[in-house]
Amino acid sequence: MLTTKTFLKKTKRGNILKIVREHYLRDDIWCGSVLCKTCSMKEREKTLEKDLDHSSSLFSFPHYLVLDTNIVLDQIDVLEENSFENVIILQTVLEEVKHRSSPVYRRLKDIISNPDRKFYVFVNEHHKDTYVERKAGESVNDRNDRAIRVATAWYASHLAPSQPKGKNKHVSIVLLTDDAANRQKAKDEGLISCSVHDYVSSLENAPALLDKLSKRNFVLEGNSKEPLFPLHLSPKEIQDGIKAGKLLQGTFLASRENFLEGSVNVEGYEKFILVQGHAGLNRAVDGDTVALELLPESEWVAPSDIVLEDAEEDPGDILDDEAKMEKEKQKAKKVEREPTGKVVGIIRRKWRQYCGILQPSQDKNSIRHLFMPAERKISKIRIETRQAETLKSQRIIVAIDSWPRTSRYPLGHFVRALGNIGDKNTENEVLLLEHDVPHSKFSEQVLSFLPKLPWVITDADLERRVDLRNITICSVDPPGCTDIDDALHCRELENGNYEVGVHIADVSHFIRPGNALDKEAALRATTVYLVDKRIDMVPELLSSNLCSLRGNEERFAFSCIWELTKDATIVNTKFHKSVICSKAALTYGEAQARIDDKTLNDDVVKSLRGLNSLAKILKKRRIENGALVLASPEIRFQVDSETHDPIEVVAKKMLETNSMVEEFMLLANISVAQKIVEEFPECAMLRRHPQPPPTNFEPLVKAGHLQGFEINVESGKDLAESLDKAVKSDNPYFNTMLRIMATRCMMQAVYFASGMLQKDEFFHYGLACPIYTHFTSPIRRYADIIVHRLLAACIGADSTYPELLDKRKSHSLCHNLNYRNRMAQYAGRASVNLHTHLFFRNRVQDEQGYVLYVRKNALQILIPKYGLEGTLYLAPPKGQIAKVNFTYNEEEQSQSHGSIKFRVFDPVTVQLSLDRRNVQHEKLMLLLVKPEIPEFSVPSQAGSQQVEAMDVDEVKDVAPPPKRQKKSK
Amino acid sequence: MDLLSDQGLRLDGRRPDELRNIRCKMGVFNQADGSAYLEQGNTKVLATVYGPHQPRGQARNRAPHDEAFVNCQYSMAVFSTGERKNRPRGDRKSQEMSIHLRQALVSAIRTELYPRSQLDIFVEVLQADGGNYCACVNAATLALVDAGVGMREYAVACSASLANGEIPLVDISHLEESTGGPNLTVASLPISGQVALMEMSQRFHSDHLPKVLERALEGCKDIHRILDDTVRKHVEETGRASGWGQVDRAGIVL
Amino acid sequence: MQNIKIRLASERVNTSLTFGEEGAPHLYTPGETITDNQRVMSGHGTYMDEENKEVLKASVAGTVERVNQLICVRPIKCRYMGEIGDVVVGRITEVQQKRWKVETNARLDSVLLISSVNLPGGELRRRSAEDEQMMRKYLQEGDLVSAEVQSVFSDGSLSLHTRSLKYGKLSQGVLVKVPPSLILRRKNHFHNLLCGASVILGNNGLIWIYPTSPEDDSGVGGFTQNLEQVIDKEDRERIARLRNCILSISASKLMLFDSSIQYAFEESLNYSIKELLTPEVMLDVAFRTRHRLQAYKDS
Repeated sequence: MLTTKTFLKKTKRGNILKIVREHYLRDDIWCGSVLCKTCSMKEREKTLEKDLDHSSSLFSFPHYLVLDTNIVLDQIDVLEENSFENVIILQTVLEEVKHRSSPVYRRLKDIISNPDRKFYVFVNEHHKDTYVERKAGESVNDRNDRAIRVATAWYASHLAPSQPKGKNKHVSIVLLTDDAANRQKAKDEGLISCSVHDYVSSLENAPALLDKLSKRNFVLEGNSKEPLFPLHLSPKEIQDGIKAGKLLQGTFLASRENFLEGSVNVEGYEKFILVQGHAGLNRAVDGDTVALELLPESEWVAPSDIVLEDAEEDPGDILDDEAKMEKEKQKAKKVEREPTGKVVGIIRRKWRQYCGILQPSQDKNSIRHLFMPAERKISKIRIETRQAETLKSQRIIVAIDSWPRTSRYPLGHFVRALGNIGDKNTENEVLLLEHDVPHSKFSEQVLSFLPKLPWVITDADLERRVDLRNITICSVDPPGCTDIDDALHCRELENGNYEVGVHIADVSHFIRPGNALDKEAALRATTVYLVDKRIDMVPELLSSNLCSLRGNEERFAFSCIWELTKDATIVNTKFHKSVICSKAALTYGEAQARIDDKTLNDDVVKSLRGLNSLAKILKKRRIENGALVLASPEIRFQVDSETHDPIEVVAKKMLETNSMVEEFMLLANISVAQKIVEEFPECAMLRRHPQPPPTNFEPLVKAGHLQGFEINVESGKDLAESLDKAVKSDNPYFNTMLRIMATRCMMQAVYFASGMLQKDEFFHYGLACPIYTHFTSPIRRYADIIVHRLLAACIGADSTYPELLDKRKSHSLCHNLNYRNRMAQYAGRASVNLHTHLFFRNRVQDEQGYVLYVRKNALQILIPKYGLEGTLYLAPPKGQIAKVNFTYNEEEQSQSHGSIKFRVFDPVTVQLSLDRRNVQHEKLMLLLVKPEIPEFSVPSQAGSQQVEAMDVDEVKDVAPPPKRQKKSK
Repeated sequence: MDLLSDQGLRLDGRRPDELRNIRCKMGVFNQADGSAYLEQGNTKVLATVYGPHQPRGQARNRAPHDEAFVNCQYSMAVFSTGERKNRPRGDRKSQEMSIHLRQALVSAIRTELYPRSQLDIFVEVLQADGGNYCACVNAATLALVDAGVGMREYAVACSASLANGEIPLVDISHLEESTGGPNLTVASLPISGQVALMEMSQRFHSDHLPKVLERALEGCKDIHRILDDTVRKHVEETGRASGWGQVDRAGIVL
Repeated sequence: MQNIKIRLASERVNTSLTFGEEGAPHLYTPGETITDNQRVMSGHGTYMDEENKEVLKASVAGTVERVNQLICVRPIKCRYMGEIGDVVVGRITEVQQKRWKVETNARLDSVLLISSVNLPGGELRRRSAEDEQMMRKYLQEGDLVSAEVQSVFSDGSLSLHTRSLKYGKLSQGVLVKVPPSLILRRKNHFHNLLCGASVILGNNGLIWIYPTSPEDDSGVGGFTQNLEQVIDKEDRERIARLRNCILSISASKLMLFDSSIQYAFEESLNYSIKELLTPEVMLDVAFRTRHRLQAYKDS
């Protein structure tokens, strides 16, 4: 059964190694066809069918398809269509795909694993008759092509004896390849082969499928045209260039404002390197890893402050917008010039699928249209579709295939439609897709791991848990919260100390490691909160019922119980699994009211008062330690109960009870973190918040300095103290704004596995504590589930499992959790944005705001009421002559006109409205009301809203990291 | 890199429970009392046995009065790995290997038969492609049988690992060793099922250990079968040539 | 340099002479159960299982020999196991008080007591203290001797004697080492071969080839060594040829005794002595020798 073939391989690692590997060739690899009578494969494992309905008009006989690698790589979107069935995927192809593109590989594997699709993987590389040895002088590609042809031929001859003769019944093998040379060779060898385009055109539902065909290999009409872009260097040239230090490698980040500008983040360079112009960008798309050539210093330019958008219409394949920028360039002062470079080659594309809308061609009959992505950093994409009429009012998804030198836009193809533009569900869908939030319904398989209803607590359960049902436990949450994952209690002990308990929903009891439910939760990593929607991490039965610690219902909990002295010093800490029965599920407001109501004196209230007093001591101590109190504007929408449109916006209020709950959650998290690290020093899941580098604080220090305050950023404690001191009696919002600015200087807090870092790197800067983790929200965060499992293993309540103790697995899990968390945050913010726009759709409003930053041609205004930030442009849009000129003072960070001077933190009144001229990007527009500047400011509110609108930027997506435990439900 | 494809084949085309190709030969040296050459895939080793003989040199005073003193020496040829390396004999790794080899072999040899004697076992790796230790134990066993040293049974070693966190793999090649996770090496006496030595390269979760161990022991049994076949063939061949050493009255070979 | 020949392992000549005409007796390998009959006794190459005391297992690979209740397994190849009366050839490794240590290819060095040798000056002479001081004069480290096994000590080592004129110090000749199991046990192990040289076929696998001395006293014994005497070329060549022949047939695992050696010698005459070192020629000689033996037996 074992035949060995040894082959030689050379790899480079400084010196050349000769690697000899065994390669076993087998005779027990089956063809997978039901037809076959020679293979001794189990009937039910056979994939390829016997009776085929052949819809192709090109081949009038039943056939199996063999795909070439280029088909899989380029046409995966089409392959995902059900029209393709009974397909043989050769291992040669699978390996090559895996090597070349992991996303495509993953999608291909999905297709293969779907039994309805009848995709069979044939391991030709290990089959004794289909293994092909590379000939001398033959390239790897040629060898693989030959291997594919050999396997195709093998299939044909292998199936022949099992079938009756007669052309029409006879199942043949068709090789699909877009490589003309390969096709020719196949023909010479007597194989049936055709290109994917020919094949797809011959199918019944050709038009819909043709849209999805990748354009990578399509020759543009008028190929003889002058190339628009410089040639990209070959990979070899790039490699040599980088090695020789002539070229730099970095990630290209497109500019949001100016489609002809971007920057490249090169490792080892302090500043981003600027690239400008069509030739400079040279077809780089946001996220690509590019090879960059630095220009001589004399050609360096300053980043243009202007906003430049791609023209609305398709100008054809010409480049003309450069001129607009040229003027700007001249003006730049020498000082402002930044290192500038030009892209000379692409090392790795990071194309994904993009959401956006179709921008139909003027010509009704044309099938070539432009696609406008929602993400403004991405260039428009040219696609071909025959369904423009229906698609033009919809949000669609498009993939980029290629970007030839002769084309102004990248070429792509239509993938699918999401729904009508403006429809809230569609917009939410776009939002979720753009932020890569998994939001499909839970699959049957996942749901099968849910406990069966009615769910009852058995005696066996009680035996293993501490019974706390008689203790007065209550929960405090925001109004409308259905996933209650924490509850508290406090009671006085006989020795005068307090016993305080934090009870967290015992989610890990219901979600067992390794099953589909667990895997799904690990993938989702977090519950995503949109303004009008919650994307659950675990199915609703758990999140809102069995795990939710609802009032007066018996629930399982994981309890952390301390004995605290009167001055909140921990005497001892206990952890155990328990059964609790919450006596009351309160909102922050209700809890606050009860504490304040002197007439009440029941157990719940006593408990709350005890907690509150201890929390105050804890908070004080924490702040003394140097914990930061930061601010980020948070708002809530009051939503119309029927239309779900926002009707009012209010800023979130912070009550004493908020901070009370928060203090104990922090305490629990810290206690748990200490415990699990002690037990599992290698694989404990912790959360850290690194100290930001001093350069991050520069804008904050500068702003404080201008106002006469010294902001000390030496340490967290210094920062906290100097922020506390910076109070202005005439501007009560000043301090908050400083804190908002401080927030922007922070780093992201991240999860990590304790074994991956040194102990001193565990530090949490924002909380000023040496060790921290997340334990208190297992319903909505996967990290907490892991921590629960670790803690359960510590106290012997549960057993460990291999993945839990694997440092590297934990590390990659953390990676996903951090990514999903960040994305969830962005998605949440984008949702607020979307609703802000909805809110302003039909209104114009005057609001009090403050200048947050002063820019060269604009003011960044913060409107506390809506927690939003907008740009008030001082320079007019292009092509218009400014009626009012402002003078920018960089030193002082001010803009002045006559006697009126705008400085940072100055109050202003602005008029808010929505600019709806662009469907894709509805924009919030700010206009100055006060102080009045003739010819510039607009009259207060009133009817005259038809003022010439000025470009206003929407809320910027700067990423303020979460500093603290935030109950942002 | 996946150790096991969805189609159930390993990187080199084996199934999870399949050994690499084993080829071996006994009696490859005339000078030694016993010798054997063994290939397990691309791992190739040479083993020689000298003795039991009068203890000489350092071992002179170390030989116990009730059993044999067994001396094992493991070494790797300079050309045995991809990169040519000068390997001074007796470096730490070799010493450790020697100790482990000795442990496995001593459990099989009936040392009590050879009091005050010394038994030398030298093993040299000519080509290393994973599972060096296993190949060495197996080759040394063959060499001991060749030398006619009394043994309770064969000492056989085999390695096993785990793919995709669930499927145990037997007989780990170098490629799998370097890409995969933990690696379990077991030396056992397959007839009685005793384990003579067990070593793990990393921590295994205790949930996985039983099935990986079982796979390794099964591998040992398979290897035992192969070694036994070789021994029988070898003995038959030499025995037949010498007429089984039997003589009739006239002094003529039967 | 052109005389050095290197060949690949894969091109090695298979030295076995298997004809396959006869069925092999049952073979036992280490660990294999021989019987669970409780009445048998465990002999060499067997052991009683430690867990199940009733089961007798083999500890070496070979054939079973049964003498009444005693069961032994005889390995194909092993160290020399001495029996009383065996002729051995050995080398002195140590000179101790009253005895010499002799390396005889056994598990332990053998002992040659000064009381077990015939000292110059008559058989019945008393051993004096002077003799002990003179020991090194008689035999010193590195000397080769032929001897007979007198007795076996409890630890398995052998006690030798040379109290016959046959035995004693060896002088000019060639030593060949073969596996002890290939030496056929016979009455006489000293042969003056027809080809014109003599051999001592030590039961321990050491074979001494020496020129047949003209005075037919079969006397190699004693402690005299005549190193002055020049052995003529013809004799030396004969000895060399004999050596190569012995190695040829032992490589093919043929039993060694006077006629097999004599036949081999005769069959080798087609080749030059040097050619006898190449594997193909060795195999050919062994093959022909076997054929001759077979023919002789059949007749």
